[in-house]
Amino acid sequence: MTIIGNEGELVKSKFIESFMKNIFLISATMSIVAIVLICIFIFAGGLPFIEEYGLLNFILGTEWKPSDTPASYGILPMILGSLILTLGAIILGVPVGVLTATYLAKFSNKKLYKFLKPCINLMAGIPSIVYGFFALTAIVPIIRALVGGTGMNIITGSILLGIMILPTIISLSEAAIRAVPNSYYEGSIALGASHERAILSLVLPAARSGILSSIILGIGRAIGETMAVVLVAGNQARMPAGLTKGVRTMTTNIVIEMAYAADAHREALIATAVILLVFILIINGTFLILKRRSGI
Amino acid sequence: MKKIFSMVLLILVSAIALGGCSNSDGFDTNSTINLVSREEGSGTRGAFVEILDILEKDEGGNEIDRTYEEAIIQNSTEAVISTVSGDKYSIGYISLGSLKDKVKALKIDGVEASTENIQNGSYKISRPFNVAYKGEPSPLAKDFLNFILSEQGQTIVAEEGYVQVATDLPSYNKNKQEGKLVIAGSTSVTPVMEKLAEAYEEMYPDVSIEIQATGSSAGMQAAMEGTADIGMASRELKDSELAELTAQVIAIDGIAIIVNNENPIGDLTIDEVKSIYTGEITHWNMAQ
Repeated sequence: MTIIGNEGELVKSKFIESFMKNIFLISATMSIVAIVLICIFIFAGGLPFIEEYGLLNFILGTEWKPSDTPASYGILPMILGSLILTLGAIILGVPVGVLTATYLAKFSNKKLYKFLKPCINLMAGIPSIVYGFFALTAIVPIIRALVGGTGMNIITGSILLGIMILPTIISLSEAAIRAVPNSYYEGSIALGASHERAILSLVLPAARSGILSSIILGIGRAIGETMAVVLVAGNQARMPAGLTKGVRTMTTNIVIEMAYAADAHREALIATAVILLVFILIINGTFLILKRRSGI
Repeated sequence: MKKIFSMVLLILVSAIALGGCSNSDGFDTNSTINLVSREEGSGTRGAFVEILDILEKDEGGNEIDRTYEEAIIQNSTEAVISTVSGDKYSIGYISLGSLKDKVKALKIDGVEASTENIQNGSYKISRPFNVAYKGEPSPLAKDFLNFILSEQGQTIVAEEGYVQVATDLPSYNKNKQEGKLVIAGSTSVTPVMEKLAEAYEEMYPDVSIEIQATGSSAGMQAAMEGTADIGMASRELKDSELAELTAQVIAIDGIAIIVNNENPIGDLTIDEVKSIYTGEITHWNMAQ
Protein backbone atom coordinates (compact mmCIF):
# COMPACT_ATOMS: atom_id res chain seq x y z
CA MET A 1 0.00 0.00 0.00
CA THR A 2 2.56 2.48 1.12
CA ILE A 3 4.84 1.51 -1.73
CA ILE A 4 2.10 2.11 -4.30
CA GLY A 5 1.30 5.41 -2.62
CA ASN A 6 4.94 6.42 -2.85
CA GLU A 7 5.07 5.48 -6.49
CA GLY A 8 1.99 7.60 -7.10
CA GLU A 9 3.68 10.52 -5.39
CA LEU A 10 6.80 9.95 -7.43
CA VAL A 11 4.90 9.96 -10.72
CA LYS A 12 3.07 13.08 -9.67
CA SER A 13 6.19 14.97 -8.69
CA LYS A 14 7.93 13.85 -11.86
CA PHE A 15 5.03 15.18 -13.87
CA ILE A 16 5.12 18.52 -12.08
CA GLU A 17 8.85 18.70 -12.60
CA SER A 18 8.67 18.15 -16.33
CA PHE A 19 5.65 20.44 -16.58
CA MET A 20 7.49 23.29 -14.86
CA LYS A 21 10.57 22.58 -16.90
CA ASN A 22 8.55 23.11 -20.05
CA ILE A 23 7.08 26.32 -18.70
CA PHE A 24 10.56 27.63 -18.04
CA LEU A 25 11.61 26.54 -21.50
CA ILE A 26 8.65 28.32 -23.10
CA SER A 27 9.45 31.49 -21.16
CA ALA A 28 13.06 31.30 -22.29
CA THR A 29 12.08 30.77 -25.92
CA MET A 30 9.60 33.64 -25.80
CA SER A 31 12.25 36.34 -25.75
CA ILE A 32 14.24 34.60 -28.46
CA VAL A 33 11.13 34.31 -30.61
CA ALA A 34 10.50 38.03 -30.06
CA ILE A 35 13.98 39.05 -31.20
CA VAL A 36 13.85 36.71 -34.19
CA LEU A 37 10.44 38.05 -35.20
CA ILE A 38 11.66 41.64 -34.91
CA CYS A 39 14.63 40.85 -37.13
CA ILE A 40 12.47 39.04 -39.69
CA PHE A 41 9.88 41.80 -39.91
CA ILE A 42 12.37 44.64 -40.11
CA PHE A 43 14.50 42.88 -42.70
CA ALA A 44 11.49 41.73 -44.73
CA GLY A 45 10.15 45.29 -44.71
CA GLY A 46 13.42 47.03 -45.50
CA LEU A 47 15.48 44.73 -47.69
CA PRO A 48 13.22 44.90 -50.79
CA PHE A 49 13.60 48.67 -50.79
CA ILE A 50 17.38 48.49 -50.34
CA GLU A 51 17.57 45.97 -53.15
CA GLU A 52 15.53 48.16 -55.44
CA TYR A 53 17.26 51.44 -54.59
CA GLY A 54 20.75 49.95 -54.34
CA LEU A 55 22.60 49.42 -51.07
CA LEU A 56 25.41 51.80 -51.97
CA ASN A 57 23.01 54.50 -53.21
CA PHE A 58 21.15 54.13 -49.95
CA ILE A 59 23.96 54.19 -47.39
CA LEU A 60 26.35 56.44 -49.33
CA GLY A 61 23.80 58.85 -50.81
CA THR A 62 24.17 62.35 -49.38
CA GLU A 63 20.70 63.62 -50.29
CA TRP A 64 17.55 62.81 -48.34
CA LYS A 65 14.66 64.33 -50.28
CA PRO A 66 11.73 61.92 -50.11
CA SER A 67 9.14 64.47 -51.26
CA ASP A 68 10.94 65.43 -54.43
CA THR A 69 10.23 63.83 -57.78
CA PRO A 70 12.38 61.87 -58.40
CA ALA A 71 12.93 61.26 -54.72
CA SER A 72 16.38 60.66 -53.27
CA TYR A 73 16.87 58.47 -50.24
CA GLY A 74 20.51 58.75 -49.18
CA ILE A 75 21.05 58.17 -45.47
CA LEU A 76 24.77 58.92 -45.21
CA PRO A 77 23.97 62.23 -43.44
CA MET A 78 21.99 60.32 -40.81
CA ILE A 79 24.61 57.59 -40.41
CA LEU A 80 27.29 60.24 -39.91
CA GLY A 81 24.95 62.15 -37.61
CA SER A 82 24.47 59.11 -35.41
CA LEU A 83 28.21 58.39 -35.34
CA ILE A 84 29.21 61.99 -34.58
CA LEU A 85 26.69 62.41 -31.76
CA THR A 86 27.76 59.07 -30.32
CA LEU A 87 31.43 60.05 -30.53
CA GLY A 88 30.63 63.35 -28.81
CA ALA A 89 28.73 61.52 -26.09
CA ILE A 90 31.65 59.14 -25.56
CA ILE A 91 34.17 62.00 -25.37
CA LEU A 92 32.06 63.81 -22.78
CA GLY A 93 30.54 60.88 -20.94
CA VAL A 94 33.32 58.30 -20.64
CA PRO A 95 35.86 60.27 -18.55
CA VAL A 96 33.14 61.45 -16.16
CA GLY A 97 31.59 58.00 -16.00
CA VAL A 98 34.79 56.04 -15.44
CA LEU A 99 36.09 58.48 -12.83
CA THR A 100 32.72 58.40 -11.05
CA ALA A 101 32.86 54.61 -11.04
CA THR A 102 36.38 54.70 -9.63
CA TYR A 103 35.27 57.10 -6.94
CA LEU A 104 32.29 54.92 -6.03
CA ALA A 105 34.33 51.74 -5.91
CA LYS A 106 37.49 52.93 -4.23
CA PHE A 107 37.26 56.43 -2.75
CA SER A 108 33.79 57.19 -1.41
CA ASN A 109 32.84 56.47 2.19
CA LYS A 110 29.88 54.21 2.88
CA LYS A 111 27.49 57.03 3.81
CA LEU A 112 28.06 58.90 0.55
CA TYR A 113 27.95 55.67 -1.44
CA LYS A 114 24.51 54.86 -0.02
CA PHE A 115 23.32 58.21 -1.34
CA LEU A 116 25.15 58.28 -4.68
CA LYS A 117 24.37 54.77 -5.84
CA PRO A 118 20.55 55.13 -5.76
CA CYS A 119 20.94 58.52 -7.50
CA ILE A 120 22.77 56.88 -10.38
CA ASN A 121 20.21 54.09 -10.55
CA LEU A 122 17.54 56.76 -10.66
CA MET A 123 19.33 58.41 -13.59
CA ALA A 124 18.99 55.17 -15.52
CA GLY A 125 15.28 55.10 -14.83
CA ILE A 126 14.41 58.62 -15.98
CA PRO A 127 12.44 58.45 -19.26
CA SER A 128 14.42 59.80 -22.19
CA ILE A 129 11.76 62.36 -23.11
CA VAL A 130 12.34 63.94 -19.69
CA TYR A 131 16.06 64.24 -20.47
CA GLY A 132 15.01 65.81 -23.76
CA PHE A 133 12.85 68.46 -22.11
CA PHE A 134 15.60 69.18 -19.62
CA ALA A 135 18.05 69.71 -22.47
CA LEU A 136 15.57 71.82 -24.42
CA THR A 137 14.92 74.17 -21.52
CA ALA A 138 18.37 74.18 -19.89
CA ILE A 139 21.15 73.27 -22.32
CA VAL A 140 19.76 74.78 -25.53
CA PRO A 141 19.54 78.38 -24.19
CA ILE A 142 23.06 78.14 -22.74
CA ILE A 143 24.52 76.88 -26.01
CA ARG A 144 22.53 79.51 -27.92
CA ALA A 145 24.02 82.22 -25.73
CA LEU A 146 27.54 80.80 -26.06
CA VAL A 147 27.79 79.97 -29.77
CA GLY A 148 24.77 81.74 -31.27
CA GLY A 149 22.41 80.29 -33.83
CA THR A 150 19.54 78.11 -32.75
CA GLY A 151 21.29 76.30 -29.91
CA MET A 152 20.14 73.02 -31.41
CA ASN A 153 23.34 71.47 -32.69
CA ILE A 154 25.89 68.71 -32.36
CA ILE A 155 27.33 70.15 -29.14
CA THR A 156 23.93 70.18 -27.41
CA GLY A 157 23.11 66.68 -28.61
CA SER A 158 26.48 65.37 -27.47
CA ILE A 159 26.17 66.90 -24.01
CA LEU A 160 22.70 65.42 -23.62
CA LEU A 161 23.77 61.97 -24.79
CA GLY A 162 26.91 62.20 -22.66
CA ILE A 163 24.68 62.63 -19.62
CA MET A 164 22.32 59.88 -20.70
CA ILE A 165 25.00 57.22 -21.06
CA LEU A 166 26.49 57.95 -17.62
CA PRO A 167 24.40 55.41 -15.64
CA THR A 168 25.30 52.58 -18.03
CA ILE A 169 29.00 53.39 -17.92
CA ILE A 170 29.11 54.01 -14.18
CA SER A 171 27.33 50.82 -13.08
CA LEU A 172 29.24 48.49 -15.41
CA SER A 173 32.62 50.14 -14.79
CA GLU A 174 32.06 50.02 -11.06
CA ALA A 175 31.33 46.30 -11.25
CA ALA A 176 34.46 45.79 -13.33
CA ILE A 177 36.63 47.73 -10.87
CA ARG A 178 35.20 45.82 -7.92
CA ALA A 179 35.90 42.53 -9.71
CA VAL A 180 39.66 43.21 -9.71
CA PRO A 181 41.19 41.00 -6.95
CA ASN A 182 41.99 43.02 -3.86
CA SER A 183 45.47 41.46 -3.74
CA TYR A 184 46.49 43.69 -6.69
CA TYR A 185 45.71 46.77 -4.67
CA GLU A 186 47.21 45.42 -1.45
CA GLY A 187 50.37 44.30 -3.21
CA SER A 188 50.97 47.68 -4.76
CA ILE A 189 50.32 49.46 -1.45
CA ALA A 190 52.80 47.07 0.17
CA LEU A 191 55.37 48.09 -2.43
CA GLY A 192 54.98 51.69 -1.36
CA ALA A 193 52.50 53.10 -3.90
CA SER A 194 49.99 55.68 -2.72
CA HIS A 195 46.23 54.95 -2.71
CA GLU A 196 45.66 57.04 -5.87
CA ARG A 197 48.63 55.54 -7.70
CA ALA A 198 47.64 51.98 -6.86
CA ILE A 199 44.15 52.55 -8.21
CA LEU A 200 44.95 54.63 -11.28
CA SER A 201 47.93 52.67 -12.55
CA LEU A 202 47.05 49.17 -11.36
CA VAL A 203 43.39 48.54 -10.56
CA LEU A 204 41.97 50.58 -13.47
CA PRO A 205 44.19 48.95 -16.13
CA ALA A 206 43.32 45.54 -14.69
CA ALA A 207 39.62 46.36 -15.12
CA ARG A 208 40.05 47.76 -18.62
CA SER A 209 38.16 45.12 -20.57
CA GLY A 210 35.15 45.52 -18.25
CA ILE A 211 35.35 49.28 -18.62
CA LEU A 212 35.59 48.88 -22.39
CA SER A 213 32.43 46.75 -22.34
CA SER A 214 30.65 49.49 -20.41
CA ILE A 215 31.72 52.00 -23.06
CA ILE A 216 30.41 49.77 -25.83
CA LEU A 217 27.05 49.42 -24.10
CA GLY A 218 27.10 53.20 -23.70
CA ILE A 219 27.63 53.52 -27.46
CA GLY A 220 24.66 51.22 -27.99
CA ARG A 221 22.52 53.40 -25.76
CA ALA A 222 23.66 56.61 -27.47
CA ILE A 223 23.16 55.37 -31.01
CA GLY A 224 19.68 54.08 -30.23
CA GLU A 225 18.50 57.14 -28.32
CA THR A 226 15.59 58.88 -30.02
CA MET A 227 13.03 60.89 -28.12
CA ALA A 228 15.53 63.10 -26.31
CA VAL A 229 17.70 63.75 -29.35
CA VAL A 230 14.77 64.68 -31.56
CA LEU A 231 14.08 67.70 -29.33
CA VAL A 232 17.55 69.22 -29.32
CA ALA A 233 19.51 68.15 -32.39
CA GLY A 234 17.83 70.38 -35.00
CA ASN A 235 17.15 67.39 -37.24
CA GLN A 236 18.40 68.83 -40.53
CA ALA A 237 18.71 66.05 -43.08
CA ARG A 238 21.90 67.26 -44.74
CA MET A 239 25.54 66.28 -44.37
CA PRO A 240 26.85 67.33 -40.92
CA ALA A 241 28.20 70.85 -41.40
CA GLY A 242 30.02 71.66 -38.17
CA LEU A 243 29.76 71.43 -34.40
CA THR A 244 27.48 74.45 -34.16
CA LYS A 245 25.08 73.17 -36.81
CA GLY A 246 22.20 70.78 -36.34
CA VAL A 247 22.26 67.16 -37.28
CA ARG A 248 19.83 64.28 -37.79
CA THR A 249 20.42 60.74 -36.57
CA MET A 250 19.02 57.51 -37.99
CA THR A 251 16.60 57.07 -35.10
CA THR A 252 15.24 60.60 -35.33
CA ASN A 253 14.90 60.25 -39.09
CA ILE A 254 12.52 57.35 -38.53
CA VAL A 255 10.53 58.88 -35.72
CA ILE A 256 10.17 62.29 -37.38
CA GLU A 257 8.90 61.15 -40.73
CA MET A 258 7.10 57.88 -40.04
CA ALA A 259 3.74 59.47 -39.22
CA TYR A 260 3.34 61.12 -42.60
CA ALA A 261 5.34 58.79 -44.79
CA ALA A 262 3.68 56.75 -47.51
CA ASP A 263 4.76 54.25 -50.16
CA ALA A 264 8.49 54.31 -51.01
CA HIS A 265 9.17 56.94 -48.34
CA ARG A 266 7.78 54.59 -45.69
CA GLU A 267 9.85 51.69 -47.00
CA ALA A 268 12.94 53.89 -46.96
CA LEU A 269 12.35 54.60 -43.27
CA ILE A 270 12.00 50.89 -42.52
CA ALA A 271 15.22 50.36 -44.46
CA THR A 272 16.83 52.98 -42.21
CA ALA A 273 15.76 50.79 -39.30
CA VAL A 274 17.52 47.86 -41.00
CA ILE A 275 20.79 49.79 -41.11
CA LEU A 276 20.30 50.86 -37.50
CA LEU A 277 19.66 47.26 -36.48
CA VAL A 278 22.85 46.18 -38.24
CA PHE A 279 24.77 48.82 -36.27
CA ILE A 280 23.26 47.62 -33.00
CA LEU A 281 24.04 44.00 -33.86
CA ILE A 282 27.66 44.91 -34.55
CA ILE A 283 27.92 46.82 -31.28
CA ASN A 284 26.38 44.02 -29.24
CA GLY A 285 28.52 41.44 -31.02
CA THR A 286 31.64 43.39 -30.06
CA PHE A 287 30.35 43.55 -26.51
CA LEU A 288 29.85 39.78 -26.38
CA ILE A 289 33.34 39.09 -27.69
CA LEU A 290 34.90 41.46 -25.17
CA LYS A 291 32.82 39.99 -22.38
CA ARG A 292 33.89 36.46 -23.23
CA ARG A 293 37.51 37.52 -23.24
CA SER A 294 37.38 39.39 -19.96
CA GLY A 295 35.13 36.87 -18.26
CA ILE A 296 33.03 39.50 -16.48
CA MET B 1 41.47 74.02 0.16
CA LYS B 2 39.04 71.45 -1.21
CA LYS B 3 36.11 73.47 0.08
CA ILE B 4 37.28 76.68 -1.55
CA PHE B 5 37.84 74.86 -4.81
CA SER B 6 34.39 73.31 -4.86
CA MET B 7 32.81 76.64 -3.91
CA VAL B 8 34.53 78.35 -6.84
CA LEU B 9 33.39 75.54 -9.12
CA LEU B 10 29.82 75.82 -7.92
CA ILE B 11 29.74 79.59 -8.47
CA LEU B 12 31.24 79.18 -11.92
CA VAL B 13 28.69 76.58 -12.97
CA SER B 14 25.73 78.59 -11.71
CA ALA B 15 27.10 81.73 -13.36
CA ILE B 16 27.23 79.95 -16.71
CA ALA B 17 23.73 78.54 -16.19
CA LEU B 18 22.30 81.93 -15.24
CA GLY B 19 24.17 83.67 -18.04
CA GLY B 20 22.52 81.29 -20.45
CA CYS B 21 19.06 82.06 -19.16
CA SER B 22 19.24 85.84 -18.88
CA ASN B 23 19.29 86.91 -22.49
CA SER B 24 16.31 89.24 -22.51
CA ASP B 25 18.12 92.17 -24.07
CA GLY B 26 15.97 93.44 -26.96
CA PHE B 27 15.82 92.23 -30.52
CA ASP B 28 19.00 92.36 -32.57
CA THR B 29 18.04 92.67 -36.24
CA ASN B 30 21.58 91.72 -37.27
CA SER B 31 20.88 88.23 -36.07
CA THR B 32 20.38 85.30 -38.38
CA ILE B 33 16.89 84.02 -39.04
CA ASN B 34 16.43 80.65 -37.38
CA LEU B 35 14.14 78.70 -39.66
CA VAL B 36 11.79 76.09 -38.29
CA SER B 37 10.20 73.73 -40.78
CA ARG B 38 8.16 70.55 -40.69
CA GLU B 39 9.43 67.15 -41.77
CA GLU B 40 9.22 65.78 -45.30
CA GLY B 41 5.86 64.19 -45.91
CA SER B 42 4.02 66.45 -43.46
CA GLY B 43 0.74 67.79 -44.86
CA THR B 44 1.49 71.28 -43.58
CA ARG B 45 4.90 71.31 -45.21
CA GLY B 46 3.54 69.88 -48.45
CA ALA B 47 0.93 72.64 -48.68
CA PHE B 48 3.36 75.35 -47.57
CA VAL B 49 6.06 74.61 -50.14
CA GLU B 50 3.46 74.16 -52.87
CA ILE B 51 1.68 77.47 -52.26
CA LEU B 52 4.88 79.48 -51.86
CA ASP B 53 6.52 77.95 -54.94
CA ILE B 54 9.35 76.64 -52.80
CA LEU B 55 8.57 73.37 -54.54
CA GLU B 56 10.17 73.82 -57.94
CA LYS B 57 8.59 71.94 -60.80
CA ASP B 58 9.99 71.51 -64.28
CA GLU B 59 8.47 70.23 -67.49
CA GLY B 60 9.82 66.74 -66.99
CA GLY B 61 7.57 66.31 -63.96
CA ASN B 62 10.48 66.66 -61.55
CA GLU B 63 9.75 68.38 -58.26
CA ILE B 64 12.40 69.74 -55.95
CA ASP B 65 11.63 70.98 -52.44
CA ARG B 66 14.06 73.86 -52.01
CA THR B 67 13.47 74.45 -48.29
CA TYR B 68 16.75 75.80 -46.85
CA GLU B 69 18.64 72.84 -45.49
CA GLU B 70 19.72 74.61 -42.30
CA ALA B 71 16.09 74.79 -41.17
CA ILE B 72 15.37 73.04 -37.87
CA ILE B 73 12.95 70.19 -38.45
CA GLN B 74 10.17 69.63 -35.92
CA ASN B 75 7.58 66.94 -36.39
CA SER B 76 4.48 68.44 -34.84
CA THR B 77 2.60 71.73 -34.70
CA GLU B 78 3.19 71.92 -30.95
CA ALA B 79 6.94 71.42 -31.35
CA VAL B 80 7.10 74.24 -33.93
CA ILE B 81 5.21 76.57 -31.56
CA SER B 82 7.46 75.75 -28.60
CA THR B 83 10.61 76.17 -30.67
CA VAL B 84 9.48 79.55 -32.02
CA SER B 85 8.28 80.76 -28.61
CA GLY B 86 11.63 79.75 -27.10
CA ASP B 87 13.89 81.39 -29.69
CA LYS B 88 13.21 85.03 -30.51
CA TYR B 89 15.06 84.94 -33.83
CA SER B 90 13.10 82.04 -35.25
CA ILE B 91 10.27 81.77 -37.76
CA GLY B 92 7.95 78.86 -38.42
CA TYR B 93 4.63 77.91 -39.96
CA ILE B 94 1.64 76.15 -38.43
CA SER B 95 -2.01 75.47 -39.01
CA LEU B 96 -4.01 78.66 -38.43
CA GLY B 97 -6.49 76.84 -36.19
CA SER B 98 -3.67 75.85 -33.81
CA LEU B 99 -2.38 79.41 -33.43
CA LYS B 100 -1.73 80.42 -29.81
CA ASP B 101 -0.81 83.62 -28.00
CA LYS B 102 2.65 82.24 -27.28
CA VAL B 103 3.66 83.24 -30.81
CA LYS B 104 2.77 85.98 -33.27
CA ALA B 105 1.26 85.39 -36.71
CA LEU B 106 2.67 87.63 -39.43
CA LYS B 107 0.59 89.53 -41.94
CA ILE B 108 1.34 88.37 -45.46
CA ASP B 109 1.31 91.15 -48.07
CA GLY B 110 -0.43 93.25 -45.42
CA VAL B 111 -3.26 90.76 -44.99
CA GLU B 112 -3.91 89.33 -41.56
CA ALA B 113 -4.15 85.54 -41.27
CA SER B 114 -7.83 85.10 -40.42
CA THR B 115 -10.71 82.92 -41.52
CA GLU B 116 -12.50 85.85 -43.20
CA ASN B 117 -9.46 86.68 -45.27
CA ILE B 118 -9.10 83.06 -46.34
CA GLN B 119 -12.76 82.84 -47.27
CA ASN B 120 -12.62 86.01 -49.37
CA GLY B 121 -9.37 84.86 -50.95
CA SER B 122 -7.07 87.68 -49.85
CA TYR B 123 -4.94 85.45 -47.57
CA LYS B 124 -3.31 83.08 -49.98
CA ILE B 125 -1.73 80.37 -47.83
CA SER B 126 -4.41 77.73 -47.23
CA ARG B 127 -5.08 74.03 -47.79
CA PRO B 128 -7.93 71.51 -47.50
CA PHE B 129 -8.60 69.14 -44.62
CA ASN B 130 -9.68 65.75 -45.95
CA VAL B 131 -11.35 62.72 -44.49
CA ALA B 132 -11.32 59.42 -46.32
CA TYR B 133 -13.02 56.07 -45.98
CA LYS B 134 -12.80 52.74 -47.71
CA GLY B 135 -15.71 51.39 -49.75
CA GLU B 136 -19.17 51.97 -48.34
CA PRO B 137 -18.99 53.62 -44.88
CA SER B 138 -20.93 52.12 -41.98
CA PRO B 139 -24.28 53.84 -41.24
CA LEU B 140 -22.74 55.49 -38.21
CA ALA B 141 -19.71 56.77 -40.13
CA LYS B 142 -22.00 58.02 -42.89
CA ASP B 143 -24.21 59.85 -40.44
CA PHE B 144 -21.19 61.40 -38.73
CA LEU B 145 -19.91 62.66 -42.09
CA ASN B 146 -23.39 64.06 -42.79
CA PHE B 147 -23.16 65.87 -39.48
CA ILE B 148 -19.73 67.31 -40.31
CA LEU B 149 -21.00 68.58 -43.66
CA SER B 150 -24.15 70.10 -42.21
CA GLU B 151 -24.81 73.64 -41.04
CA GLN B 152 -24.18 72.60 -37.41
CA GLY B 153 -20.94 70.77 -38.18
CA GLN B 154 -19.56 73.61 -40.25
CA THR B 155 -20.44 76.08 -37.49
CA ILE B 156 -18.10 74.13 -35.21
CA VAL B 157 -15.45 74.21 -37.95
CA ALA B 158 -15.76 77.99 -38.08
CA GLU B 159 -15.71 78.34 -34.28
CA GLU B 160 -12.45 76.44 -34.17
CA GLY B 161 -10.80 78.95 -36.46
CA TYR B 162 -11.02 77.05 -39.72
CA VAL B 163 -12.78 77.98 -42.92
CA GLN B 164 -16.07 76.34 -43.86
CA VAL B 165 -16.30 74.20 -46.99
CA ALA B 166 -19.48 76.01 -47.98
CA THR B 167 -21.88 78.32 -46.18
CA ASP B 168 -25.22 77.18 -47.62
CA LEU B 169 -25.36 73.61 -46.30
CA PRO B 170 -28.52 71.79 -45.15
CA SER B 171 -29.07 71.53 -41.41
CA TYR B 172 -28.54 68.20 -39.69
CA ASN B 173 -31.54 66.11 -38.66
CA LYS B 174 -31.13 64.21 -35.43
CA ASN B 175 -31.91 60.50 -35.64
CA LYS B 176 -30.94 57.43 -33.64
CA GLN B 177 -27.32 56.25 -33.64
CA GLU B 178 -25.21 53.96 -31.53
CA GLY B 179 -21.89 52.16 -31.79
CA LYS B 180 -18.19 52.92 -31.96
CA LEU B 181 -16.22 54.89 -34.51
CA VAL B 182 -12.44 54.96 -34.88
CA ILE B 183 -10.94 57.97 -36.61
CA ALA B 184 -7.20 58.22 -37.22
CA GLY B 185 -4.83 60.55 -39.00
CA SER B 186 -3.40 64.05 -39.25
CA THR B 187 -2.37 65.84 -36.09
CA SER B 188 -3.52 69.09 -37.72
CA VAL B 189 -7.07 67.85 -38.30
CA THR B 190 -7.36 66.23 -34.87
CA PRO B 191 -8.30 69.35 -32.82
CA VAL B 192 -11.33 70.21 -34.97
CA MET B 193 -12.28 66.54 -35.28
CA GLU B 194 -12.28 66.26 -31.49
CA LYS B 195 -14.75 69.14 -31.23
CA LEU B 196 -16.97 67.62 -33.90
CA ALA B 197 -16.88 64.24 -32.17
CA GLU B 198 -17.68 65.87 -28.83
CA ALA B 199 -20.77 67.56 -30.24
CA TYR B 200 -21.85 64.36 -31.94
CA GLU B 201 -21.40 62.25 -28.82
CA GLU B 202 -23.46 64.76 -26.89
CA MET B 203 -26.37 64.13 -29.25
CA TYR B 204 -26.01 60.35 -29.05
CA PRO B 205 -24.89 59.08 -25.64
CA ASP B 206 -24.53 55.54 -27.04
CA VAL B 207 -21.94 56.56 -29.60
CA SER B 208 -18.27 56.58 -28.74
CA ILE B 209 -15.73 58.07 -31.10
CA GLU B 210 -12.05 57.31 -30.68
CA ILE B 211 -9.64 59.72 -32.33
CA GLN B 212 -6.00 58.81 -32.90
CA ALA B 213 -3.59 61.58 -33.93
CA THR B 214 -1.10 59.54 -35.91
CA GLY B 215 -0.32 61.63 -38.98
CA SER B 216 -1.88 61.93 -42.42
CA SER B 217 -0.22 58.95 -44.04
CA ALA B 218 -0.69 56.71 -41.02
CA GLY B 219 -4.37 57.72 -41.04
CA MET B 220 -4.78 56.83 -44.70
CA GLN B 221 -2.96 53.57 -44.06
CA ALA B 222 -5.32 52.79 -41.18
CA ALA B 223 -8.38 53.56 -43.32
CA MET B 224 -7.08 51.30 -46.09
CA GLU B 225 -6.30 48.47 -43.68
CA GLY B 226 -9.65 48.89 -41.97
CA THR B 227 -8.21 49.60 -38.50
CA ALA B 228 -9.92 53.00 -38.66
CA ASP B 229 -13.39 53.76 -40.01
CA ILE B 230 -12.36 57.21 -41.17
CA GLY B 231 -8.89 58.57 -41.93
CA MET B 232 -7.93 62.25 -41.67
CA ALA B 233 -5.40 63.98 -43.92
CA SER B 234 -4.21 67.57 -43.91
CA ARG B 235 -3.13 67.28 -47.55
CA GLU B 236 -4.47 66.11 -50.87
CA LEU B 237 -4.57 62.32 -51.12
CA LYS B 238 -1.89 60.51 -53.12
CA ASP B 239 -2.92 58.50 -56.18
CA SER B 240 -2.14 55.22 -54.41
CA GLU B 241 -4.49 56.26 -51.61
CA LEU B 242 -7.24 57.53 -53.89
CA ALA B 243 -7.25 54.15 -55.63
CA GLU B 244 -8.63 52.59 -52.46
CA LEU B 245 -10.29 55.43 -50.58
CA THR B 246 -13.02 57.99 -51.11
CA ALA B 247 -11.98 61.44 -49.96
CA GLN B 248 -14.10 64.33 -48.74
CA VAL B 249 -13.03 67.88 -47.86
CA ILE B 250 -14.42 68.86 -44.45
CA ALA B 251 -12.74 72.22 -43.84
CA ILE B 252 -10.15 74.61 -45.18
CA ASP B 253 -7.22 75.63 -43.05
CA GLY B 254 -4.93 78.59 -43.36
CA ILE B 255 -1.22 78.28 -42.68
CA ALA B 256 0.04 81.00 -40.36
CA ILE B 257 3.64 82.20 -40.54
CA ILE B 258 4.68 82.64 -36.93
CA VAL B 259 7.51 84.48 -35.18
CA ASN B 260 8.47 85.05 -31.57
CA ASN B 261 6.40 87.62 -29.64
CA GLU B 262 9.53 89.75 -29.14
CA ASN B 263 10.07 90.07 -32.87
CA PRO B 264 9.19 93.64 -33.97
CA ILE B 265 8.44 92.58 -37.55
CA GLY B 266 4.72 92.19 -38.18
CA ASP B 267 4.41 92.07 -41.91
CA LEU B 268 6.24 90.24 -44.70
CA THR B 269 5.50 89.87 -48.38
CA ILE B 270 4.88 86.42 -49.78
CA ASP B 271 8.14 86.72 -51.75
CA GLU B 272 10.07 87.53 -48.58
CA VAL B 273 8.69 84.46 -46.85
CA LYS B 274 9.68 82.41 -49.86
CA SER B 275 13.20 83.89 -49.89
CA ILE B 276 13.56 83.24 -46.17
CA TYR B 277 12.55 79.61 -46.58
CA THR B 278 14.82 79.06 -49.57
CA GLY B 279 17.79 80.53 -47.72
CA GLU B 280 18.19 83.70 -49.83
CA ILE B 281 17.32 85.95 -46.89
CA THR B 282 19.34 84.81 -43.90
CA HIS B 283 19.29 87.80 -41.54
CA TRP B 284 16.35 89.70 -40.07
CA ASN B 285 17.61 93.10 -41.27
CA MET B 286 17.46 91.85 -44.86
CA ALA B 287 13.74 91.22 -44.48
CA GLN B 288 12.73 94.81 -43.76
